[in-house]
Amino acid sequence: MPEFFHRKLERSAIGFVLAIIAAASVGGIVEIAPLFTIDETVEEAPDMRVYTPLELSGRNIYVREGCYACHSQMIRTLRDEVERYGPYSLAVESQYDRPMLWGSKRTGPDLARVGGKYSDFWHVAHLINPRDVVPESNMPAYAFLARNRLRTDDLSGHLRAQRALGVPYTDEMIENAGRDAYGQAAPDSAAAPGVTERYGPATTVSAFDGVATQLTEMDALVAYLQVLGRLTDAAYRDTAAPEEAPDPAE
Amino acid sequence: MFDISHETLVAFSKSWGLFYLMGFFLCVVVYAFWPSNRKRFDRAKTSILERDDKPWQ
Amino acid sequence: MNATDRMIGRLTSGERQAALILCGLTALSGAALGLAGRNDVVGWHGLLMLLFAGGFGFLLMTRLDMAEPTEDRGASYYDDPIKAGIVLAMAWAVFGMFMGVWVAAQLAWPDLHFDNGWSTFGRLRPTHTTGVIFGFGGNALIATSFHVVQRTSRARLAGQVSPWFVLLGYNLFCLLAVTGYLLGITQSKEYAEAEWYADLWLVVVWVTYFVLYLRTIARRREPHIYVANWYFMAFIVVVAILHIVNNLALPISWGHAKSYTIWPGVQDAMVQWWYGHNAVAFFLTAGFLGMLYYYLPVRAQRPIFSYRLSILSFWGITFFYMWAGSHHLHYTALPHWVQTLGMTFSVMLLVPSWASAGNALLTLNGAWHRVRDDATLRFMMAAAVFYGLSTFEGSFLAIRPVNALSHYTDWTVGHVHAGALGWVALITFGSLYTLVPTLWKRERMYSAALVEVHFWLSIAGTLIYVFAMWNSGIIQGLMWRTYTEDGALAYSFVDSLVAMYPYYIARAFGGLLFLIGAVVGCYNMWMTVRAVPQATSRTGDQPVAAAVPGE
Repeated sequence: MPEFFHRKLERSAIGFVLAIIAAASVGGIVEIAPLFTIDETVEEAPDMRVYTPLELSGRNIYVREGCYACHSQMIRTLRDEVERYGPYSLAVESQYDRPMLWGSKRTGPDLARVGGKYSDFWHVAHLINPRDVVPESNMPAYAFLARNRLRTDDLSGHLRAQRALGVPYTDEMIENAGRDAYGQAAPDSAAAPGVTERYGPATTVSAFDGVATQLTEMDALVAYLQVLGRLTDAAYRDTAAPEEAPDPAE
Repeated sequence: MFDISHETLVAFSKSWGLFYLMGFFLCVVVYAFWPSNRKRFDRAKTSILERDDKPWQ
Repeated sequence: MNATDRMIGRLTSGERQAALILCGLTALSGAALGLAGRNDVVGWHGLLMLLFAGGFGFLLMTRLDMAEPTEDRGASYYDDPIKAGIVLAMAWAVFGMFMGVWVAAQLAWPDLHFDNGWSTFGRLRPTHTTGVIFGFGGNALIATSFHVVQRTSRARLAGQVSPWFVLLGYNLFCLLAVTGYLLGITQSKEYAEAEWYADLWLVVVWVTYFVLYLRTIARRREPHIYVANWYFMAFIVVVAILHIVNNLALPISWGHAKSYTIWPGVQDAMVQWWYGHNAVAFFLTAGFLGMLYYYLPVRAQRPIFSYRLSILSFWGITFFYMWAGSHHLHYTALPHWVQTLGMTFSVMLLVPSWASAGNALLTLNGAWHRVRDDATLRFMMAAAVFYGLSTFEGSFLAIRPVNALSHYTDWTVGHVHAGALGWVALITFGSLYTLVPTLWKRERMYSAALVEVHFWLSIAGTLIYVFAMWNSGIIQGLMWRTYTEDGALAYSFVDSLVAMYPYYIARAFGGLLFLIGAVVGCYNMWMTVRAVPQATSRTGDQPVAAAVPGE
């Protein structure tokens, strides 16, 4: 019987295609379907906030420049990683990340918790020429970011698209996206207080690139780097101890 | 679909995924070793070595 | 008459008009995209589509009144798109490998970029991966699949215009992707960086490819579908599924290059690596196994060792690979059971993989003198060996404790290149050296010596590359987890980076050798078409190596 079926399947190539789909898709479905209900198992993080428009712009610059090719944002549950980079990453911490930037290669160090580790000034100097700060570095220089003005006219559209996909941006946030982006990098301006009002008092308002008058891509990227790992404290609360690195030789 | 609990889905994946795999392979093995298929396979093996280079009309 | 005249002259005037309409529609979509995106970088891509389609439209328009074809087209195979596909594949190979050498050199000498965005590592790296995987690999797959499906079905391709649409449309996708990265248009989803409109375009092209392939198979005169076609079909079908699911995204607007994927965080990670790993499986493995199962027996003039084994391994690969993606996410925030599942299936994958590699090598058993004397056949043998080695390494790296060491290091990069250079590129070069004289009806390749040179450059380049990355990866992984006696981490990250520099230089050198090999191959193919006399008799698909002494 099976032989008969297969012959029929083969005669009409369509049947053959269906067989390929049956063989190939089930693995994917079985593996991925449970992830749709994963929010039932993901840790709670009631304190988690969304990215501000400036941070989101910075994230999009990180995406645009392909930083993920050399920097991971995923601290594994291994002791040496936790000691080097901080508490291991939780699923909930990337719940608003589209795309996720866990990465697959560390030519440079992991950045999941780089936020707050260095000053804004250090980041700007490092991005302008990494070898000024870390002589051994092989990272490209990103001086052009300080010259590029940040595009803000489309930020409301970005937030609207994010909300359509489930990120809890409010109408007010969407409406003021451009203004908030400016305000977050200009601490003394009239636009600054609105940022902490809408995104919470823990939001950092700072002239990230050192120049408060002009909003550049450098501002955005540094704002993003400074918030990495700081959207929620979930990873610092009651998590299991990290694993010892297994020794394959054992 | 979204009101199915995570546990149910995981349990389903872990059990039926495996049965599916075994059933699938049984069919493939039967097909590959079915005696009357031998001739077709032997023909397929050698037919690509034939030297004429025109479509059959 | 030049080649364009000949190729267009083989279309009826009705077909020329249909092709012109297709060009017009594509140009119109380009214009619409350009207009909607005039305030965004996507406007440039609208212009690119317009020019691309307009250029081909112009070629057609100036030849609309050419004479109708007189030959009986049903009596011959349709080889024009295959020839164009080979040329494109080799052009992309040189481009993609050059970009690879450049980015490799940037890691060793970080100032090898200009003071601007497009020349930094992060933007160039995807032009390398897309250039070699989709540009070189994809064009080679399209070309060889068109060849294999016709020969094994004993039927002409089921269309005159659609093969061109598939080939050229696919290259438009590659162009959009690669130029996009340089302009800063990317989704930053590994191996799926192209943005939403390019992805949509690829869906149109791919569906056409699928229908064309199925219709050609439906025309076949052989009762049985030869196994190479199974692999090509799995490649087409599954890549379509993967591409669509992974790239589901919401654009900011119709006139904006940027989109946000519908998958957030951990789901995106799973979908991404389900895609990423199966792109390796069905793009870089299944399709190229299709090549192996056709060109290796044809070149060796020996039937495949075991046809049954090829069937078993086909279904094994189709089935197992889909489960294995999560081994890219060991020790991450992905649920533990999914990691274990991925590991288990990755280890099981070794069985069908080695079945294929063994099948290929056993086919050659008894013809080793040919392997010795014919570099083309040796390309394919070496490819099978590297396939066996890198699938073993893949299963090994998928084991959680091993992965704890290897992940995030150059070991992964070395593994990928053992597969990509050693397996994918070598089987492609072997197939193309078989195909070029056959298609252009030449007696032989221009220079057997240059094929030898290419072979040894490729082998040397691959080995240098892979050994450098093994060393650097393992050193890196060990340094990251080394503790001093009082329980502190022994090395800073920068210490581990400094240790990498010698290997990065070696790697760039290995890649350079491989690139030079590809350039030599291009020259040899070019001269074969230009300077080698036409074969006097119709030799069909038999190999064209000089007579082997002792035979």
